[in-house]
Amino acid sequence: MIEVIKAGLETSVQDFPGRWGHWEQGFPPSGPFDMWSFRMANLLVGNSPDAAGLECQFSGPHLRFNQETTIALTGGVFKAKLDGKDIPQWESIKVNKGQELITGFAQKGARGYLAFSGGIDAPLVLGSRSTFHLAGIGGINGHALIDGGVIETFEGKQLHGAHVLEKYRPKLPAHKTWEIEVVRGPNDDWIDNIGHDIFFNSEWVLQTRSNRTGYRLTGPELVFAKKAREKGLEHGEHPSNILDHGYPVGSVNLCGQTPIILVSDGPSAGGFINPWTVPSATFWKLAQSKPNDIYKFKEVSLNTAQEMRRKIDQICVEENIST
Amino acid sequence: MIYDEPKYTPGGDRYIEMELGNELNFDLNFLVHSLTKNIRDSKINGILELLPNMASIVMAYNPDQISFDDLTKETTNLYRSLGSLESIELISPVFTIPVLYFDHRTKECWEDYCKTIQPKTYDPDLMVELNKLSDKSQLKRIHSGTEYWVAALGFYPGLASLISLDPRCRLTAPKYNPPRTWTPKGTVGYGGSVTCVYPDQTPGGYQIIGHTPAPVCDLKQRLPAFRKDVALLRPGDRVRFVPIELNEYEYIEAHVAEGTYSHNIARYSKFSIKQYHAWIKSLDEQVIF
Repeated sequence: MIEVIKAGLETSVQDFPGRWGHWEQGFPPSGPFDMWSFRMANLLVGNSPDAAGLECQFSGPHLRFNQETTIALTGGVFKAKLDGKDIPQWESIKVNKGQELITGFAQKGARGYLAFSGGIDAPLVLGSRSTFHLAGIGGINGHALIDGGVIETFEGKQLHGAHVLEKYRPKLPAHKTWEIEVVRGPNDDWIDNIGHDIFFNSEWVLQTRSNRTGYRLTGPELVFAKKAREKGLEHGEHPSNILDHGYPVGSVNLCGQTPIILVSDGPSAGGFINPWTVPSATFWKLAQSKPNDIYKFKEVSLNTAQEMRRKIDQICVEENIST
Repeated sequence: MIYDEPKYTPGGDRYIEMELGNELNFDLNFLVHSLTKNIRDSKINGILELLPNMASIVMAYNPDQISFDDLTKETTNLYRSLGSLESIELISPVFTIPVLYFDHRTKECWEDYCKTIQPKTYDPDLMVELNKLSDKSQLKRIHSGTEYWVAALGFYPGLASLISLDPRCRLTAPKYNPPRTWTPKGTVGYGGSVTCVYPDQTPGGYQIIGHTPAPVCDLKQRLPAFRKDVALLRPGDRVRFVPIELNEYEYIEAHVAEGTYSHNIARYSKFSIKQYHAWIKSLDEQVIF
């Protein structure tokens, strides 16, 4: 059993690939935001990549271990300490009974992934252990970790001294500007060419009001195509309104003039257009960026986007864990 | 219009939006749900999710199992093999939902919006004005004067988009801009030409005109109507709103709290699109409730 002394900021239980098959009723996939770092954390402690672990956001938890286990911390740079001593990240670490882990704050990047040997034992809700706190399901009692809470884990292997080579880790940028890939569509024809040029040639600032449901961006005004301005009344008044439709996870949802990238816990449908979509392989970048970071969008083809995802999947395998 | 063939656009590396048309039209929505059922029954390898909505279906797929081109070819074939719409009959249960119109909870929510975000006309008054109705009683009469078709679920767990089946009871409403930060659970809203019941306390953009004490989503599955599923409604179901007074509202609220409330559901009803079309043709649309 692991005691939660301090929960950190919305630290949540997630599993890979999250909750699939219930989207029609409005349940998003959830799951770890940065699935690359998450899977590597699991592999480091000898788990299968889908085991449940913790996602830390900006400020991670303070835990006391009442059992011997192996842990690994991946993702952003956190300066975590075990009984006051710095621990390395991207490495499996033996923890003795009674030891305390202070994950601390994200120094670089934004999200850390903490895996425990065996994985977290939380009930499966609609097929997943991932927390979707908006609806109060998954994780531990349907919400993020709480101070004084308890985490149970399954029995697992005890793999110590494993590490992930630098080349198999996502590379955080030195400055706060990110190149974010997007695929055009589904509703790219609602924006005219000038609008697309503005979108691709501008710097977009990530707003503070961004979380696992959506990433709000501040930038210039976009220009809509004729189709968006001259349409049936049922589509709504604003050029960004469309007849209610499903929202792909990762779509850049244009809500008036505010683009919102819909992410892991986002809504499944609504009445705004999605001219571009961030592919799944780029999600780790979203997960690791902080409010006030700058996004520059780059168009990629569907094939490129699918190839990018395959490359990450090929990295996130047991063979790439060095011992 | 309803397109001759579906239009496909990618939504990133693992989603496809399939549009069957571009209007709010019952036949089109019926087609969406018929095609969704056929796609689901065909068990095409690599489809992970199907998200039908008003005029389109978003599909999630695994590109390692099926390519964009192969998947869209298969679904186009299924679309072509649908056959005549008129031949389709569906079991379509009717759910009766009690509503306290122009209630205290939604009024409080509107007042909070006016105070904390920006002033706006009281939602029922705005709807009376925009739909050129005589007063709020007529709004209540029209809103509760028709059966509604569950055209889609989504945006939030358990949230159903309802469209009126009686053309004499069609209303329109603008959406809040900016949206509300909160809406009471159980609020009855209207946006565009869609009405809904908010399954939980959530942000929202629809005009708010009433409140039901009967839950439409129950993640804990406490009430009998939720034994099988967390959401009350499914696409293809029907809903009728019944106006109630405060004493009835409080009675239901108390029974929901006790866990003894039983939803009013008629499960024997079939929906024939052929008969629906014939009925629509027989109506005098000049008659207003």
